[in-house]
Amino acid sequence: MTQQAEISKEEIMAVYPTVAATIADALGCEPEDVQLDVSLIEGLDAESIDFLDLVFRLERAFKVKIPRGKIVEDARGDLPEAEFEQKGLVTDAGLARLRSFLTEVPADRIASPLKVADVPRLFTAETFCKLVIRSQKAAG
Amino acid sequence: MGGRFGAFSFVDRITDVVPGVRVRGLYRVPAALRAFPAALVAEAVGQLAAWAGMAALEFRRRPVAGLARDTRFLRDVGPGELLELEAELESCTDDDVAYAGRATTGGAPVIALEQCLGPMLPAEDFDAPEALRGDYALLCGAGAPPGRFGGLPDFDLQRTESVAGERAKAMLRVPASAPFFEDHFPRRPVFPATLLLDAQIRLASALAREALAPREDAVPAAARMLDVKVRAFIAPGQLLELGAERVAAEADGFTARLSARADGKTVATARVEFAARTRV
Repeated sequence: MTQQAEISKEEIMAVYPTVAATIADALGCEPEDVQLDVSLIEGLDAESIDFLDLVFRLERAFKVKIPRGKIVEDARGDLPEAEFEQKGLVTDAGLARLRSFLTEVPADRIASPLKVADVPRLFTAETFCKLVIRSQKAAG
Repeated sequence: MGGRFGAFSFVDRITDVVPGVRVRGLYRVPAALRAFPAALVAEAVGQLAAWAGMAALEFRRRPVAGLARDTRFLRDVGPGELLELEAELESCTDDDVAYAGRATTGGAPVIALEQCLGPMLPAEDFDAPEALRGDYALLCGAGAPPGRFGGLPDFDLQRTESVAGERAKAMLRVPASAPFFEDHFPRRPVFPATLLLDAQIRLASALAREALAPREDAVPAAARMLDVKVRAFIAPGQLLELGAERVAAEADGFTARLSARADGKTVATARVEFAARTRV
């Protein structure tokens, strides 16, 4: 089952206002700068510590537990690491998995060659909405 | 005494610990010091939490400065005072440790930290894991010798830009060598984030004094630090540009946004609130 089937647009829009406000707080940007499809790294100059900060804040805003520092591992899903990446590059199987997981990212952005270290560059505000929703569902 | 486990270590003894969960400890501020900045009390609480986190991870990982959402400075401490330290670890994994903590003296609150998060990195990059394990055993047993900390060198802030009460910039040259680098950290010297914060508070404090009407009975003192975010390691000898900018000023309060940049890149940000504190 793909993430696309699991999470509806309505679910995303239900959490988006709080996620957007939290992103603005964490990055010190204006709320209107945050858009659902903006890359947090490329569009809002986020760094790895900002992702940590953002997830830390989202946990409190939504009262959920989110595995910090494991977003890329989540994206990999049940695909073994050796099948997901080779020599620091995402494999074809890995790219397919990412396209399925990051449905909010245009497919042509998830193309070879893609360094594993660059995967977070794909993350958008919607990625974090989905992260919250998955955590809510996991908590039952 | 200085040196490793002396020059920048602020826990003398761990009195109660459940690794990865909670910890209590003690630290006696050396009587020979001239002063003990509030930022070092925060450092003491952070180090106590770090011990409980490292012990839970068998000293494979060690936390470094990352986020501190809310730090309240409640009372100054002076030379010779005994700090009672405690911390609760909300979570502790190979990725990071989240904790809250506080310090008291004689039961009176000195500092309170909430929602702190330290990224966990390989301990061996910073120190010998076996040495850390030995230090921890000492802290949990008889305790480390008191009075190890010999004080700090003076860090001169050279103002480069100033609009009274509104904003200020200053340069801070991190010393190329200093005793605290032997301890922070033995294998990789890093300028402690708490010393950076102390310098930033000093810069903002000057701004607060300029912004607020002088009072005979009180002076503006840092009361709360919010949203501290440390983005990068600061190396010995690095030149830092510190910035403080007024966000709000009221009758008895002043808030400033703080930044620190190195090589054109932001390395730390925070906000600080000042409140009038009665002169003693």
